[in-house]
Amino acid sequence: MPESSPVADEPLAGIDDFESIVREHRPRVFRFLLASLRDKESAENLTQDCFVRAFKARDQFRGDSKPGTWLMHIAANLVRDHEANSRLKFWRRKLRSDVDPNDLSDWIPDQQKSPEAIALAREQVEAIWKAASTLSERQRTVFLLRFVEDMDLLEIAAVTGMKEGTVKTHLFRAVQSVRLGLEEGK
Amino acid sequence: MKHLSKVQISKCLIGDATPEETQHAWDCADCRAELTRVESAFSDFRSSAQHWSQRADATDGAIPWNVRIEVATLKGLYGGHETIAGIGSLLIHVAAVGLLLFAGTLPPVQKAMKDFVPLFAPDLKPLQPKPKTEQSKGGGGSPQKTAETKGELPKVAGRSFVPPIRPQDDPKLALNPTIVAPDMPNINAPNYGNPLAGIGIPSAGNGIGTGIGAGKGPGVGPGNGGGFGGAVYKIGGGVSAPVPIYKPEPEYSEEARKAKWQGAVLLAIVVDENGVPQDVKVLRSLGLGLDQKAIEAVQKWRFKPGLKDGKAVPVSANIEVNFRLL
Repeated sequence: MPESSPVADEPLAGIDDFESIVREHRPRVFRFLLASLRDKESAENLTQDCFVRAFKARDQFRGDSKPGTWLMHIAANLVRDHEANSRLKFWRRKLRSDVDPNDLSDWIPDQQKSPEAIALAREQVEAIWKAASTLSERQRTVFLLRFVEDMDLLEIAAVTGMKEGTVKTHLFRAVQSVRLGLEEGK
Repeated sequence: MKHLSKVQISKCLIGDATPEETQHAWDCADCRAELTRVESAFSDFRSSAQHWSQRADATDGAIPWNVRIEVATLKGLYGGHETIAGIGSLLIHVAAVGLLLFAGTLPPVQKAMKDFVPLFAPDLKPLQPKPKTEQSKGGGGSPQKTAETKGELPKVAGRSFVPPIRPQDDPKLALNPTIVAPDMPNINAPNYGNPLAGIGIPSAGNGIGTGIGAGKGPGVGPGNGGGFGGAVYKIGGGVSAPVPIYKPEPEYSEEARKAKWQGAVLLAIVVDENGVPQDVKVLRSLGLGLDQKAIEAVQKWRFKPGLKDGKAVPVSANIEVNFRLL
């Protein structure tokens, strides 16, 4: 649409090619949702929801953050809503309170390591998953964003909508709990 | 500077450590090892999450809502014969329902419906054991050679001061002879006797006591005590209930214990004037040998007998014996 006013098109500048955005960010959003929910079906559904929401609200995207951060913000909100909804379904929460070891069974940390080291690494990873599943929703989100998505504190603050200090507090508590889980797992 | 605390290491992990702490973590081998250990665990955790998500993400890279799915139209699946097929289906259903309704009107079916066999609980009353005619509780008269003969029954009273036969000659205080008996048919006769006995030489029977008949006591008939043969007092109407004073618990039968059988046996007994249960009968059975155990137990019971006008009398009573497993 070459005739339309360039001012109106300005906010869309970052996401005019929605398809490429989806292609670029889908794996990350899905990974975050999967790690948060530990349930493939729900993660797929919420990934879908996330991009549908983003697509509907693409006019409101102001371009003051990266599209990836914006999408992760939507995903984090979806996780929070999902947790609030599933709090009623306590039996489902019980069902998926732990990671199925089969999901991680064919994961091999590093081919170079000795079998003992691999076994140890596996145990530790399972302990971390277990500990992460017992965290509160906020702590877990912050923890996953930091250590799976490798975001820095400012990015996490932007994604979760929390202040940096709040992020620090949640992250610190999460790390303490996970380390406690690691010590117990040994 | 001493080693970093756990809290400080956690702060290093989240990138919230002071420059000194970061410096120490670099310089001190122990702290660096600890930090590296946790960091490598977290790094493994990250790679496992990535691996899991890649494996779970079957639609890797594909964009689901960009795939156009061709939906085959249902039109033409019947080769253009939808109307005929629909009407045919309707006709088949109508025919099936009609056939069922028609089958119901056929004579054999109607007959079969009329010939249904009603199921009801059989009436077992004629098969149940008839109660034995009660043994008499009547008292006999004074010892005479012959059995009591037909005659007028003396006045019924609570106590018998003057025996009906052989009244005292020339009494200081004239009293009509009385006997202890329930209401029973009476006749008018010149002599006292049992209205139900045969005619013969006037006699008051060959029993012991002050009554009429072959028994013992102030009543009528061949039994023991007051009253008339078979007549046992019922509780109420001036007759007090017998009160158990010794009631051993019933034993459990082995079968019932194994079957964890519980319940109550209802027994009908007659408590005689000595407080001993007589004539124990089962009114409501429980089975599995518990009836026998209940009877055995109740036969050991002793009662304070029922009283009529202050005097112990045989009283019929129902007793429920409970069997409970703890």
